[in-house]
Amino acid sequence: MCRHEGPRWGCGRCAPSSMLLLIQLLSAAPFGLLGEETRQVSLEVIPDCRDPSPNLLHIRAVGSNSTLHYVWSSMGPPAVLLVATNTPHSTLTVNWSRLLSPEPDGGLTVLPKNSIQFSSALVFTRLFEFDSANTSEASAKPPGKPYPPYSLAEFSWNNITDSLDLATLSATFRGRPIQDPAGAFANGSLAFRVQAFTRSSRPAQAPRLLHSADTCQLEVALFGAYPRGNRSLFGLEVATLGQAPDCPSVQEQRSIDDEYAPAVFKLDQLLWGSLPSGFMQWRPVAFAQRQRGRESSLPCQASPLRPTLAYLLPQSPIVRAFFGPQTDFCAFNLTFGAPTGPGYWDEYYLSWSMLLGVGTPPVDALSPLILGIMAVALGAPGLMLLAGGIFLLLWHKQCSQYQPIN
Amino acid sequence: MEEDEEEARALLEGRPDGAGRAAPGVSGALPAICDPGRLAHRLLVLLLMCFLGFGSYFCYDNPAALQTQVKRDMQVNTTKFMLLYAWYSWPNVVLCFFGGFLIDRVFGIRWGTIIFSCFVCIGQVIFALGGIFNAFWLMEFGRFVFGIGGESLAVAQNTYAVSWFKGKELNLVFGLQLSMARIGSTVNMNLMGWLYSKVEASLGSAGHKTLGVTLMIGGITCILSLICALVLAYLDQRAEKILHKAQGKTGEVIKLTDVKDFSFPLWLIFIICVCYYVAVFPFIGLGKVFFTEKFGFSSQAASAINSIVYVISAPMSPIFGLLVDKTGKNIIWVLCAVVTTLAAHIMLAFTLWNPWIAMVLLGLSYSLLACALWPMVAFVVPEHQLGTAYGFMQSIQNLGLAIISIIAGMILDTRGYLFLEVFFIACVSLSLLSVVLLYVVNRARGGNLNHSARQREEIKLSHAE
Repeated sequence: MCRHEGPRWGCGRCAPSSMLLLIQLLSAAPFGLLGEETRQVSLEVIPDCRDPSPNLLHIRAVGSNSTLHYVWSSMGPPAVLLVATNTPHSTLTVNWSRLLSPEPDGGLTVLPKNSIQFSSALVFTRLFEFDSANTSEASAKPPGKPYPPYSLAEFSWNNITDSLDLATLSATFRGRPIQDPAGAFANGSLAFRVQAFTRSSRPAQAPRLLHSADTCQLEVALFGAYPRGNRSLFGLEVATLGQAPDCPSVQEQRSIDDEYAPAVFKLDQLLWGSLPSGFMQWRPVAFAQRQRGRESSLPCQASPLRPTLAYLLPQSPIVRAFFGPQTDFCAFNLTFGAPTGPGYWDEYYLSWSMLLGVGTPPVDALSPLILGIMAVALGAPGLMLLAGGIFLLLWHKQCSQYQPIN
Repeated sequence: MEEDEEEARALLEGRPDGAGRAAPGVSGALPAICDPGRLAHRLLVLLLMCFLGFGSYFCYDNPAALQTQVKRDMQVNTTKFMLLYAWYSWPNVVLCFFGGFLIDRVFGIRWGTIIFSCFVCIGQVIFALGGIFNAFWLMEFGRFVFGIGGESLAVAQNTYAVSWFKGKELNLVFGLQLSMARIGSTVNMNLMGWLYSKVEASLGSAGHKTLGVTLMIGGITCILSLICALVLAYLDQRAEKILHKAQGKTGEVIKLTDVKDFSFPLWLIFIICVCYYVAVFPFIGLGKVFFTEKFGFSSQAASAINSIVYVISAPMSPIFGLLVDKTGKNIIWVLCAVVTTLAAHIMLAFTLWNPWIAMVLLGLSYSLLACALWPMVAFVVPEHQLGTAYGFMQSIQNLGLAIISIIAGMILDTRGYLFLEVFFIACVSLSLLSVVLLYVVNRARGGNLNHSARQREEIKLSHAE
């Protein structure tokens, strides 16, 4: 299994001048600190003593010399803040009265401020629904006639304290629209399951993304909601902070290895800047059944990121609280499924997973089983050829020794 | 596969026990095309013979050509999908021994051919009905019935060829029949997807009905083959009257007790055969999705590349046959073929190189192996046991294909294509191991498997003296 480690620049093998070493250390500082193998992870629901309804989940992952803070919240649209610091002692402070005010700037702070090496945010703004009944082209854009989207800011969410599971380090935000005249979500909900990890591993369930202690996994699941068409496709709009004038890009990596996600040879990544920084990583596959077998896998298409203005998106108080009045956002859409094939309509179920993390994204390596089989499969005939050659040579020699007698 | 036996026979220059006795042209009054003694008439018969097998070859690989559609419309996983191939192979584990017997002793060549063609037709219709009624078990049953007819029909086709062309254009005829078989598979691979989309457009939606109707239309090729069987039966009977020629016989004598006398090299040849073919046919059966997902091919391009093995095999089989005939050294050629296949699978598994390279290599090595491996049986088995040996070889090959098809489907569903490819590499590697062992054993025993053509000629001459 591949354990990824942050680059280790400036480990002085030769002794350059002290000035050079200092520069090296400075340049290495931001991310030489990240990429730890294990972390102490704590999940904490930060309560507001006056009003317990707003959900604010703080995941604090402490390493030997760095701390990662993931702050998930369903105030406004579901959103996550990702803050990496280069000290094991950094803390999150919440000023509830400011956070709940119309101008929440400064409501969330990570201290000490100068320890922050990287910060960004993701906001899940809208749930799209398309009618794909009359589109035969799987790659058609848009994938069908769009229905009015559900704004996730206008969802009501459960109290996550109930779903907090400290054994698995997970919590689930489950929501349905506040106003649902058609009753589409009468028996259904949209769930964001958040999970943190103390070490590198791989979940048993597809799509089996390799995670490390620096990452946090999000599973989005829609289930039980009545679709508005017979063959409805769903999509999710994701917004992130942009660094004007550019947006981060989504890279699609091709791989030869599909052992952990059969027949999925791609891995999508969104990188906030040059490596190593923050990343969002997912396999372009979603599932239409709880078992998440290959027969229920759906393609997942990501649009390129497009710059968008803050006022066009539902506001997330925690993003505003931490970053102040930002205007530059970038958004992209994920679309799950195709007009043909399995889909949400089969079992009214859809799930998709992603990783959010800091540092170098985890990279899959060939499993020991595959390497073992290959070694035997190629080694055995090779050895046989060698042994056979030697045997024939000796045998031939023996024969030729007797020949003179004839 | 049945075609391999054809290849073997073609290369063995026909078996000595065929029954084609060409009488001198009797009726000069008949036009050439109607005169069974004349070439023109034989060409007509040849055309019919080629189309006799077309239907079964076309429909054999229908599941591969419609892999995504079958899995989606019938809502089955890959393991169940591969059962469609396994069910085809199961009856042939037994029938390989009895196909010849049934033709010779029970039905006769004419009725035998018609009956086997009917099995193929009915099997395909049941298969298609399974789609229309959304019953996967019915589809499996259809493949089973189809399998009963399919392999035996190939035996019948060979028997006809021997009966009409022995001592004339027999090798060419075998070659042409083989090419036709490959063309059938190729046309299927490239046509069925298109046909499905047309049916989908006219029915308005995809689904099990669309699949069933598409397969039913594909079944027309089987009807065509049945018509060929009927016309052939008529012409053969007519020729019998005019030329006083006897009804063709396979001449196969199968004695299962011979199995205990099989030599060690023959068992090695069986292992090579099974381990090699299970890494080729199940791969082609599952290949289409591999090319679309891993290499980003369109559905059409994936069909094309998936059929390239067959396309290459059509012209290359006769050429390699000639090459092996002229040079001898069969084990070395088999070794080359197996090593090339191993390299092709390694490329497919571990690189993102254009898969055309690997698939062309696979096609070439597959053709070469068929030409070099199957004739080797004749060198290690006394002639009276040849029928049993070939029957046994086909039987265990079918057994291997049936079992490995299921295993391949299971591996794909749980572990993905890379692992599947590694599994195939291990199979080919086992085959390679056997080839090396065969070489050593043959050298140590002073066997004749690896003689050059000239050495064989000399031995023949010295025996003659």
